[in-house]
Amino acid sequence: MRISPQRRGVGAAALLVSLGLVLSGCSGEAEGGTSELTAPGPEVLEGLDEAVQVEFWHSMDATNGQVLDGLIEEFNARNEGRIEVTGSFQGNYDEALASHRAAIQQGETAELIMIYDLGTQFMIDSGQTVPAQAFVDADGYDTSPIEDALLNYFTVDGDLRSFPFNNSTPLMYVNRDAFEEAGLDPDSPPTDLAEIREAAERLTVRDDDGTVVQYGFGAAVYGWFVEQFMARAGVPYCDNANGRSGRATEVLFDDPKVVELVEWWEGMIDDGLAVQIGRNTDDGQAAFTSGRAAMTLESTGSLGGFIEQADFEVGAGYFPLISADDPGGSIIGGASLWINGEGHTEQEVRASWEFVQFLLTPESQSVWHAGTGYLSVNTDGYGLPEAVERAEEFPQFSVAAAQLADSEINENTAGCMMGVMSEARVAAEEGWEAALTSDTPAAEAMAEAAGRVSTPIREYNDSVGE
Amino acid sequence: MSSPTILHGGGSGVPSGTAAPAPAASTPAPRGRRRERGREAALAWAFLAPSVAVFALFLLYPLGRTLYLSLHGNDIIGRPDRFVGLSHFAEMATPEFGGVLLTTLLFTLGVVVPGVVGALAVVLLLEGVVRGQRLLRGAFALPFAFSVASASVIFSVFYSPGNSVLNGILYQLGLDQVPWLTSQEMALWSVCVTTVWMNLGYGVLVLAAGIGSIPKEINEAARIDGATGPRLARDVTVPMLGPQLFFLVVISTINALQSFGQIHILTNGGPVGSTTTLVYSIYQYAFAYGTSDFGRASAQALVLLLVVLVCTAVQFGVLERKVHYA
Repeated sequence: MRISPQRRGVGAAALLVSLGLVLSGCSGEAEGGTSELTAPGPEVLEGLDEAVQVEFWHSMDATNGQVLDGLIEEFNARNEGRIEVTGSFQGNYDEALASHRAAIQQGETAELIMIYDLGTQFMIDSGQTVPAQAFVDADGYDTSPIEDALLNYFTVDGDLRSFPFNNSTPLMYVNRDAFEEAGLDPDSPPTDLAEIREAAERLTVRDDDGTVVQYGFGAAVYGWFVEQFMARAGVPYCDNANGRSGRATEVLFDDPKVVELVEWWEGMIDDGLAVQIGRNTDDGQAAFTSGRAAMTLESTGSLGGFIEQADFEVGAGYFPLISADDPGGSIIGGASLWINGEGHTEQEVRASWEFVQFLLTPESQSVWHAGTGYLSVNTDGYGLPEAVERAEEFPQFSVAAAQLADSEINENTAGCMMGVMSEARVAAEEGWEAALTSDTPAAEAMAEAAGRVSTPIREYNDSVGE
Repeated sequence: MSSPTILHGGGSGVPSGTAAPAPAASTPAPRGRRRERGREAALAWAFLAPSVAVFALFLLYPLGRTLYLSLHGNDIIGRPDRFVGLSHFAEMATPEFGGVLLTTLLFTLGVVVPGVVGALAVVLLLEGVVRGQRLLRGAFALPFAFSVASASVIFSVFYSPGNSVLNGILYQLGLDQVPWLTSQEMALWSVCVTTVWMNLGYGVLVLAAGIGSIPKEINEAARIDGATGPRLARDVTVPMLGPQLFFLVVISTINALQSFGQIHILTNGGPVGSTTTLVYSIYQYAFAYGTSDFGRASAQALVLLLVVLVCTAVQFGVLERKVHYA
């Protein structure tokens, strides 16, 4: 009900003049600092009287937050008297983005901010940050050790826009114990929809009355999966080459491939082979770890939790293809780091970049990957002790990296770049869910959902003047 | 606001004893007296100033701001950047928004009716319990102590697709599984049940207090006339609870119209919008999915304000006439 109390402006104040209420406007423009968004060199940090303060807004809590705090502490210790980074948890990705919007309005953005993949186009359009490419060019920074699939996603119009950091890719997880009981080989999990169905028929266990006690498959109706399935099928998610050759004007998730996926999903539920989960991914995870569903789809980031929570052996395989002849490939998920330039001094901008470089070292990434299950953004990180040890203990940790390495780099696997990606994802979920929970045929439900995104896309493009 | 009444009330409270009888107000007052009255008014305003300021800052300002935003479009950061007149309101004439209003109506009925009737039933049944009545009342009032978030999380475990505690119980009883949150037909009722449970405690508290304040003589007189059990409840207790029941209906209607947490935690407005009430729709436009469409959200917020006002006005107009104030 509360509509943004912090957003005040001149127009509304006029309404209050009659009340004799004086409101001090706090929507002033950002003061001072670099208004051209350029990358300052290392010399700006020389001869400082006190450490440059860098506030870092992120969305990492629990285990992931602790690992991140450890990295921040290490950086601060190494840069004592020079740079001091303060991490600040801003809630989940959506909440962090909402806070960032409010901060832009008030001219008080943090120096460094973590924004999820779906917010990439918005971050570019809001024009607050120094493009990552500017730092790369100014310092001659070598991006070759960075995972190609990540560079592919975060490069728009030929320039790297932000620095990938906490990134993941989805996998198919299997209950190895259930596989063995059903006489299936857990080392070669199903790779496409038809194979999943075959395996599910053997994995589904019914009691004497015919009530299902263990389902073969169960995963959340999660829009990210639609994006993944489309990339692996070699079809774009939105037009204009996934929004990378020009502004996207429509989404294409009413593609026959997706319709095939949704119909398959419906059939699995109708035939009692898959449990109906709904849109909440927590419920999908719970269905898997409790042993209720023997196969599920989830991010690599869930692997650590699965191993910890499940009382069976967890196996992982590549995210499935829709049909066996699909080209494959994988889009990344997760978030990247953006350095705010607007309203910040050269020292702050440079200090943020120094910190980002530290996070991208193989050493930091090895710790990060081993501690969280996220990818090692710097592929050299996989060769360092923490990551190696982790991979020896749990070979499943290597599957995601292998899946990305197997992925062809093209516009379909780059993923769709669009200002209203989150709305598109929700629309895809609603279309998919409509097909599952009503009599609406999949083709119609997906077409209707895709059509619904056109208006927000047009309005967004209009408001950024294109 | 009704400031003249307040001023008059304040004036008569001043010990100088100048509270003028009504006719005196119409005759021209002597000069000194007028000045004194002016001073009293100033004093009254001085006392009122803090609450007026708070009221203006937290109620009138947001209301004015909402009105302003509802007439404007936003840029991508959420700043109003163009005047769009009433187009946000005109856009509401769609089946989708009609669906949102219908969901809101069903949700409100599904919460208010069982909530009030349930609380009444609990309190009346407990009247017959002699031993441990206070303990039981306390137990029934307990949900009141739960926050919306914790109650919703508990119910999400009961309903969880795949691992539903309720389905586990049904399974043990040999009954069919229920898609609590994953079917468009069921989800709204599941959210209603959660809300009714949360509201029950408050209803029990209010009605139990009401029963306690019914004069003993009335019950005794009724008993002497031979009224017992259901008869006593129907013809004496319930009518005597009129003011409390009326209060509960009004308050729980407003609460239902503004419910957010349980919908957010249990269903996110789904499946396919089947639990998207007006408040949830406002949230989705303004904050969910990185949209920041404050214009449309504000327009819907004004519709919500109107709905609450109309409901409350109707309740006061229709129901309150039937209430017997002892």
